[in-house]
Amino acid sequence: MIDVNTLLIEGKAAIQAANDLTELQSVRNVYLSKKGLISGLMLEMKNLSNEEKPKFGALVNLAKQELEAAMDLKTKTLEEEAIARQLESGKIDITLSAHAPLVGTLHPLTIVQQEIEDLFISMGYTVKDGPEVERDFYNFERANIPQDHPARDMQDTFYIDMEWLLRTHTTAIQTRALEEYAGRTPVKVICPGKVYRKDDDDATHSHQFVQIEGLVVGHEISLADLKGTLELLARRMFGNERVIRFRPSYFQFTEPSVEVDVSCHICGGKGCPTCKGTGWIEILGAGMVHPNVLTMAGFDASKVSGFAFGLGVERVALLKYGIDDIRHLYTNDIRFLTAFRRFE
Amino acid sequence: MKISMKWLGRYVDLSDINAQDLADKLTLAGLEVEGIESLAHGSNLTIGQVLTCVDHPQSDHLHVCTVDLKDEIVQIVCGAPNVAKDQKVIVAKNGAVLPQLTIKKATVRGIESNGMICSLSELGVAPKYLSEEQKAGIEVLGDDAVVGNDPLAYLGLDDIILDVKQTPNRSDFNAMWSVAMEVGALLDREVRLPDARIAANAGDKTNLKIGSTTDACPTFYGKVVGSVTVKESPQWMKEALMAVGIKSINNVVDISNYVMVETGQPLHFYDLAKVPHREIIVKDQLKGELKTLDMGSVPLFENDLVITSNDIPIGLAGIMGGDDSKIDENTHGIIIEAALFSPVRIRNTSRRVNLMTEASLRFQKGLEPQMPDKAMHRAVELLVELADASDLEETVEYGKPVLNKKEVAVTHRQIETLLGTNVELGQCVELLRRLHLSPVVAGETITCTIPSYRLDLSIAEDLVEEVGRMVGYDGIQGKLPKMETVSGELDARQKQRRKIRALCIGFGMNEAITYTLVSKAKIDNAILPLGEAYEILSPLSDERRFVRVGILPSLLEAAAYNLAHKAKDFMLYEVGSVYAKGKQEERLAFVLSGNLTQSLWQKHSVATDFYTGKGIVEAIAAQLGFDANRLRYTTPKVALDKFHPYRSAEIHLGKDRLGIVGEIHPKLAKELGVGALILAEINLEPFLQQKATKIKYAPLNKYPVVQRDIALVIKTDVSAGSIESTIRKAGKSIVKGVEFFDVYTGSHVEEGSKSIALSLYYQADDHTLEDAEISEIHQRIVSALEVELQAKLRA
Repeated sequence: MIDVNTLLIEGKAAIQAANDLTELQSVRNVYLSKKGLISGLMLEMKNLSNEEKPKFGALVNLAKQELEAAMDLKTKTLEEEAIARQLESGKIDITLSAHAPLVGTLHPLTIVQQEIEDLFISMGYTVKDGPEVERDFYNFERANIPQDHPARDMQDTFYIDMEWLLRTHTTAIQTRALEEYAGRTPVKVICPGKVYRKDDDDATHSHQFVQIEGLVVGHEISLADLKGTLELLARRMFGNERVIRFRPSYFQFTEPSVEVDVSCHICGGKGCPTCKGTGWIEILGAGMVHPNVLTMAGFDASKVSGFAFGLGVERVALLKYGIDDIRHLYTNDIRFLTAFRRFE
Repeated sequence: MKISMKWLGRYVDLSDINAQDLADKLTLAGLEVEGIESLAHGSNLTIGQVLTCVDHPQSDHLHVCTVDLKDEIVQIVCGAPNVAKDQKVIVAKNGAVLPQLTIKKATVRGIESNGMICSLSELGVAPKYLSEEQKAGIEVLGDDAVVGNDPLAYLGLDDIILDVKQTPNRSDFNAMWSVAMEVGALLDREVRLPDARIAANAGDKTNLKIGSTTDACPTFYGKVVGSVTVKESPQWMKEALMAVGIKSINNVVDISNYVMVETGQPLHFYDLAKVPHREIIVKDQLKGELKTLDMGSVPLFENDLVITSNDIPIGLAGIMGGDDSKIDENTHGIIIEAALFSPVRIRNTSRRVNLMTEASLRFQKGLEPQMPDKAMHRAVELLVELADASDLEETVEYGKPVLNKKEVAVTHRQIETLLGTNVELGQCVELLRRLHLSPVVAGETITCTIPSYRLDLSIAEDLVEEVGRMVGYDGIQGKLPKMETVSGELDARQKQRRKIRALCIGFGMNEAITYTLVSKAKIDNAILPLGEAYEILSPLSDERRFVRVGILPSLLEAAAYNLAHKAKDFMLYEVGSVYAKGKQEERLAFVLSGNLTQSLWQKHSVATDFYTGKGIVEAIAAQLGFDANRLRYTTPKVALDKFHPYRSAEIHLGKDRLGIVGEIHPKLAKELGVGALILAEINLEPFLQQKATKIKYAPLNKYPVVQRDIALVIKTDVSAGSIESTIRKAGKSIVKGVEFFDVYTGSHVEEGSKSIALSLYYQADDHTLEDAEISEIHQRIVSALEVELQAKLRA
């Protein structure tokens, strides 16, 4: 009788003492296998009286159950410990440098161009493209700039021959669009594209640049419509607090013509180096489409009117991002290009 | 153009208006003021008189002076060589701020100095207005200078100059008189211009002959003034000219310049004695050369307008007079020229000889036809007044212009509709009246009579602008156009273009934009040049002489730049148009350098190679609706010196060559100083011109896929592409995938052969494949490989 209790106590101690699952298995073999100590006790039953047998058997069974329960508990504990150790052995330094997926960038000129396109698309404009190698006819004549006019002097031109040139403004796209509409209204187009003028490249000039022009023709379109439209544009590009002002100017394509200043986004109009102390930044040329332009394209200038405006994408990009030299936009330095990866 | 406030003040009262306010008004009315400057600067200046002047004991060139400033007598150490006792001088007192320095009490070599005696340069007067004497020393004032007064006012240097930007339509602003009319209208003030309408009517009979053999000189007035006295100009005239940037020469020459500024009409004076034939004829189509005042001899071209006398060129019309007939101190009589020349001819000649003069700039902008007449009268008036002109002969008029009365009408409704704001009829009329447009109202219609100098006003819209700018555009309330609502969107081409860009940046590439105009070398080095390049007639430089026929040469240049700036791993792409005679094409080009991806400390990296480039092309094609199996790759037959001959491919879509992708030729890489870059140039037209394709969903195949791997030994030159197509041909639609997972040459494989291992994926669309079925197909494939490609199945 004493043997069973002793065995139980010793067995529990052995289970507790096991350091890992292997040792625990040895303990199981010693106590609970077919030839183990518990089975051994059962063999001893034959030496007992019939009266003692059931009592002893119950005792041994109880001991067996207790040992098995202890064994299960210990197994679970050891397994958990093993997993914890395994996990710990796989510990990494989470501060080491990441292995990031590649993210490319759009060119800042493309970013600005698409942003302006999207603004006007949202207002129902259609985007028009046109050829960069253009006919004198669409670039000048249809834009109301006849041969020998001083305006051709203002924008010195890369001529290829008497008929062909590199377009000097995206007005060439507008004149094509007007011809396409051939008198039908409403006309609501936005015309982005590369243009070329014979300027020597320096910090503020580029012989190649991107222009976006807009054109609306319809019934009783006015300078006030132009102003409201450009106010939206100025706010989208330079912030909601911006106001604009019109100054009378002169372009062949429009009459009346205006230069458009936007209140300085750096100083808010108080005066700073960016706006040369004036509080205003000149950003657009615009005006009411000249009746000659409308008539040439088959519109009845006594019945419809329109506005047109044009802006330089480089100038917007320079101002918006604080870029100090226009040539950076064409150097394609990877350090410069990757600076434009942030969402705005 | 420079406008002197003082000069302007002679015609319009500006006594109560400051320069900034006037500048703002002009700018908002369309005459943009770009700068406001003073002729001379300096605070705390006064006129002083030198009482004593002795040499500085410690110096061989300094002087110690005591100077009377009226309120005080100060001691000043002065370094000027010309300072002397009794002189009246300009003194900058302690605390004075001059353009270059601030004056403080100082000790100069042991002697106290309180102030500075100034030269005009020290007050910021530009050297071009100063004589050598004035540049070398202090300014000595006349005896009439009053001690204690403002020296700038005494010298007439207290003027303020507005630097204005003239728009091309307002050539009349060449004339100070016209600016005065504008200012008068803006301020609603009276304008008093000199009235010299009859001064030149006087004169005896003349034998002067004036003429023109070209219609590029429609009008030419000539007048002999038999006697003039050449001398120094009066101070007021010198000051006035200096204020607008013209140096005083002598009274006669100054008068021609003064009248030019007043009227915008350039005049030319010839020395009467030096034109002995008394004949001036304007000609073109001449050959030979002309000796000029400033620039030696100039060869003549047929479109140059030349002033001739007795068939000898004596001046380049409107640009520069000849040496032989110029005014000098010995001149006793003159011939006045007041003429009109073709702006285009003047512009072209002036450009060719690279000479922009005050005269040529004005002629280029265009002149009012009546101006020669007005300028002639004014010049005669001033010559009589300031140069003792006498012995006048009558004016010879060639091509006297007809003065047509020009009327332009506009309706009140037109004004309000175009401006989009309300302006009362009465106010419109009042504003037009102030502009001297003589408005007459009949019902709704305002009819204006346009003064001869307003060449810019000819249609109703011009009058709308006049009202608009006088009212001020500030008052216009912005609104949006009221019109039929239409949907705004990109067209298919524009959408595809945006997708291509989005994909490129999705692959980690940075967008570049290079110049369209390139050098001859870049044309020669273009990959798949579109055709014969357009050449610019007169380029800025050889670097920008041609319109690009391909993108890669410029993109390679950008890559080389970045490599030179220590960038190693980068990918650049550009989407843009290329042009050739009669053709245009949009293209994509890219350059890949270094690693596609890497993690240094983990020691793993993937280098960009041919297959990266191919992958990008295929991914773009697939996203735009062309599955990879529609692209074909062939060994390049072009650009052999640009691409590695065995690591590049021409890409075809159907019958058309799309472009080329591959590794740069090592020779070109060495030339450019770059590594093994991956390049591509692709024609985007098939993608851009494609109609939007519809995505059609096919139900997922629910039958099992069976994978079988095989290993082959095959001749080295048999391509993976031909193995795959042989497999697909033999296996038909049951073959759903072919994946190469090993390509090996070396030991254990016989010379000239390679070992290739691949996985085949079999799947039927309508049933589960039986083992027997699979075995049969597989056997058919193996046989095809053995028979058609002489492949040996590896055990």
